[in-house]
Amino acid sequence: MHDGSAESPILRARALNKTVPTAEGDLCILDGVDFQAGAGESVAVVGASGSGKTTLLGILAGLDLPTDGDVWLDGEEITGMSEERRARVRGRCIGFVFQTFQLIESLSALENVMLPSELRGDPAPRDDAAQFLTRVGLAERVTHYPRELSGGEQQRVAIARAFASRPKVLFADEPTGNLDTATGARIIDLLFDLNIESGTTLVLVTHDAALADRCSRVVTLEAGRIAS
Amino acid sequence: MTLRLVLRLAVRDWRAGELRLLLAAVVVAVGTVTAIGFFVDRLREALLSESTTFLGADRVIASTRQVPQGFRDAARDLGVTHTDVVTFPSMLFADESEEARSQLVSVKAVGDGYPLRGVLRVAEEPFGPAAVTRAVPARGEVWLDSRLFPALGLALGDSVSVGYARLRIERVLAGEPDRGGSVFDLGPRLLMHIDDVPETRVIQPGSRVGYRLLLAGDDVALASLREAIEPELAPNYRWRGIADANPTIGEALDRAESFLLLGGLLAVLLAGAAVALGAHRYARRHYDHVGVLKTLGATPADVQWGYLGVLSAVGAAGVATGLVLGALVHLAIVAALAAYLPASLPLPGPRPLALGAVTGFVCLLAFALPPLLALRDVSPMRVIRRDVHAGAASRAFTYGSAGLGGLGLLVWYSGDIWLTLWALVGGVGVCGAFAVLALGLLRGGRVVGMQAGSAWRLALAGLQRRYRENVAQITIFGIAIMLLLILLLIRTALLDEWRAQLPEDAPNHFVMNVAGDEVEAVQTLLASHTDYDGALFPMIRGRVTSVNGQPAEEWARTHRRGPNGPGLRSERNLTWSDTLPGNNVLVEGEWWPEGTGEALISLEAEYAALNGLGIGDELAFDIGGLPVSARVANTRRVEWDSLQPNFFLVFSGGALRDFATTHMTSFHLGAEGKPFLNRLLSEHPTITVIEVDEIVRQVRSIVGRVTQAIELVLGLVLGAGALVLVASIQASHEARLKEHALVRALGGTMKLIAGSLTAEFAVLGAFAGVVAVVGAEITVSVLRSQVFELGYDLHPWLWLTGPAIGTVLIALIGYLGTRKLVESPPALVLREL
Repeated sequence: MHDGSAESPILRARALNKTVPTAEGDLCILDGVDFQAGAGESVAVVGASGSGKTTLLGILAGLDLPTDGDVWLDGEEITGMSEERRARVRGRCIGFVFQTFQLIESLSALENVMLPSELRGDPAPRDDAAQFLTRVGLAERVTHYPRELSGGEQQRVAIARAFASRPKVLFADEPTGNLDTATGARIIDLLFDLNIESGTTLVLVTHDAALADRCSRVVTLEAGRIAS
Repeated sequence: MTLRLVLRLAVRDWRAGELRLLLAAVVVAVGTVTAIGFFVDRLREALLSESTTFLGADRVIASTRQVPQGFRDAARDLGVTHTDVVTFPSMLFADESEEARSQLVSVKAVGDGYPLRGVLRVAEEPFGPAAVTRAVPARGEVWLDSRLFPALGLALGDSVSVGYARLRIERVLAGEPDRGGSVFDLGPRLLMHIDDVPETRVIQPGSRVGYRLLLAGDDVALASLREAIEPELAPNYRWRGIADANPTIGEALDRAESFLLLGGLLAVLLAGAAVALGAHRYARRHYDHVGVLKTLGATPADVQWGYLGVLSAVGAAGVATGLVLGALVHLAIVAALAAYLPASLPLPGPRPLALGAVTGFVCLLAFALPPLLALRDVSPMRVIRRDVHAGAASRAFTYGSAGLGGLGLLVWYSGDIWLTLWALVGGVGVCGAFAVLALGLLRGGRVVGMQAGSAWRLALAGLQRRYRENVAQITIFGIAIMLLLILLLIRTALLDEWRAQLPEDAPNHFVMNVAGDEVEAVQTLLASHTDYDGALFPMIRGRVTSVNGQPAEEWARTHRRGPNGPGLRSERNLTWSDTLPGNNVLVEGEWWPEGTGEALISLEAEYAALNGLGIGDELAFDIGGLPVSARVANTRRVEWDSLQPNFFLVFSGGALRDFATTHMTSFHLGAEGKPFLNRLLSEHPTITVIEVDEIVRQVRSIVGRVTQAIELVLGLVLGAGALVLVASIQASHEARLKEHALVRALGGTMKLIAGSLTAEFAVLGAFAGVVAVVGAEITVSVLRSQVFELGYDLHPWLWLTGPAIGTVLIALIGYLGTRKLVESPPALVLREL
């Protein structure tokens, strides 16, 4: 186990196991994984396909539940919560950036960025969202719909949306996986810049060794276990 | 989620076209039900009011006793219009005839205002063209049936005597609305004023007199009146409505109503299916949205209430639009059918609006709620792993909810639990059977497809690969096509049945009392002036005295089943024949060989069943004081509505040949041929001619209107069916397109893809057609026997046309629905899906 910030870990997981039933019997995806990340830290989770990276990200972010073990986020154990409460924690503490962008097609760029604030019931989400879009360089594209934007622009909208919710932890799942190298590099610069600016903890799942090296710490998964 | 966000999502989804199908389905459901509701409501009122002309009133109180003054007072107090009618048989004497001829007539004495419903028709000369009149005979006048003029050698203006009264012939009576009853019981009609009746001194204690009080008013007042006088009605006074007055019309109305209701039910079911398909598609396309919303902090409750909000918005918009559309469609229908409808249709009540609104919301709740509620359980993990279970609605919930909602609606809508249950049992059974059949067809298709060309191979491989969805789709297509076929078949069956009963050249005149020595002359005369086909029935009166040696009275006591229907001991018209009369169908036993010397008898099936008689029973008769016995050889079904001469009891030739009998026959005579009756009756004054052309005309007019209504309902249901097809094709849109975009990316030409998609839909359509034909044949046989009480035959033509309709219809809709996307670049398709 690596201690990123032993004093006040914002995210802590202990003895995570995840098995899923298959036709050939139970399949173990995560096997006794411990994980910890401190405030403002950036951690890369790397590993081969099928090593359990995405499953670990889902459990750490409260999107999924482990078969055994627990996850603590900002001082609360989220593994013991109902889906209802976990959703509220996600809304309050977590931001996401996905490989496939995951913008809502029927909403404009601005509306996509406003979505987390609206879900929380914030009073004036529009200005805030517009500022974040300006920050990611899309001030001119606020009224555009996702299908009218390039892949890089869509990912920038997704980053603006992730930071607009002012998360304590930002999870990024292969954020450059669908982009060309140059665009990917600009996206990563943006992601790290915003991360530093806002003091957010970044947990990043990637195949890309160069990208992993930009993180303050790298965790390698092998067949569901922490290898380093 | 905030309301604003919900509304924004709904508006965005609407703009993106996501909600259009769902909204269209709700609009069609509500619109169809509302339009049918409005139209049926008004048409039923109109048909009823038209049918009341057969009574000459809305209701009639009938008795052999004088109607108490209290009944009239009660009617007046309740605002119910009324008038009296007295009927009695009497001899009519032609005062000015040289031979002082006379004839038994059926006198009808009417008061002012008669008839309260319908019209009297009079002519200026016997058998001349008829015109409507609002008058009744004044005091001192009589109006006579045409046939009395030649029979008695009378002319307009002559005097006649009825009892002690001398009356002047003022007009020729051509038609009266409430002639009704059995035409054979009537003598020729004499119409006079009721105030002249005392002067005739014909009515004495013991006279055969019928008293009727005709009533007209709104339903509420009539119901109140009935309630008020109920205690005094039984047992001497009968309260009669249209159903009692003319069973043929009553039945036609019942069948029409059953049909319209069935049409309505099918439209609701189809629209429900479209709503379900639309909602499933909408939900499936929102799995990822919900996943994203959940990662952003939306709770399951937020998702649930959010989508309920969307559903409510769709419901409100759909119901409002549907109600307006329904009202407009109904107005358009009324305008289009104006020529066939009564000049002033009664205004519809609020029921159709309530019907439409409730249908819309119940449809949405029952059919759309399960998939949308299931969205609350979509895992947020879907955003990073597409293979995560999407949380689709449980089947039990989906089908249970749809079944319960559908059943509730149907029962409420039809108010007829049996009709609904039959439709439902058919539906559920058919779904299961369809799925099995569809699976078999798909498996078979794949084997055949291996040898086919590339577009077909691709199509059949695709069908087999997604066999679960395709089995469901064939079932849905099959059901939609089946419903249309059922409607077509039933419509055809009903119309054929009616037309067969009342063809253009249906007999509309009966000739009775033809003596043996007149037969040849009458036949020659009829054959030279009409389309008379030579059928002549000997007729003699007789009654059953014993069965198998047991006195008839005793037999009736022990064997009679049920109080209504023809009795065993009544005196009846008997006939004999060497051949089975036309319009009759043997039910049991065999018809006797021509010229048999054995004394055999054929019974009408219902008469036999009611009186506990079967083949082999020995019946003894008293015919004109002489005993005759015969053995029951067979039973027959008789079309009583056919207006052909029909008999409960038909003897074999040998049994009655030696009795002196009269004969009867029937023939068709158009209005232009009427003067022939003058000649017929002048040459044969003792025969009786009964005209039923007026009754036939009235029945045909009602049948014509009902046909219009049926065609209209068929049109509306077709619309709903087409919507289901579109919804169903859209539901499988993405999977098909993604696959074909891949094939295109790998080098498949647009032609190959378009060909393959069209082939796929064509095969689906053909399979659905086969499945639909099987279902339609079974369901129609059940409906015909259980609901419409008609016979049943298979329809060989259907087995070709059903699959052909399916192939063409679905290939066309499928091709049109996918054409645009087939033409768009594969990269775009892959990216958008």
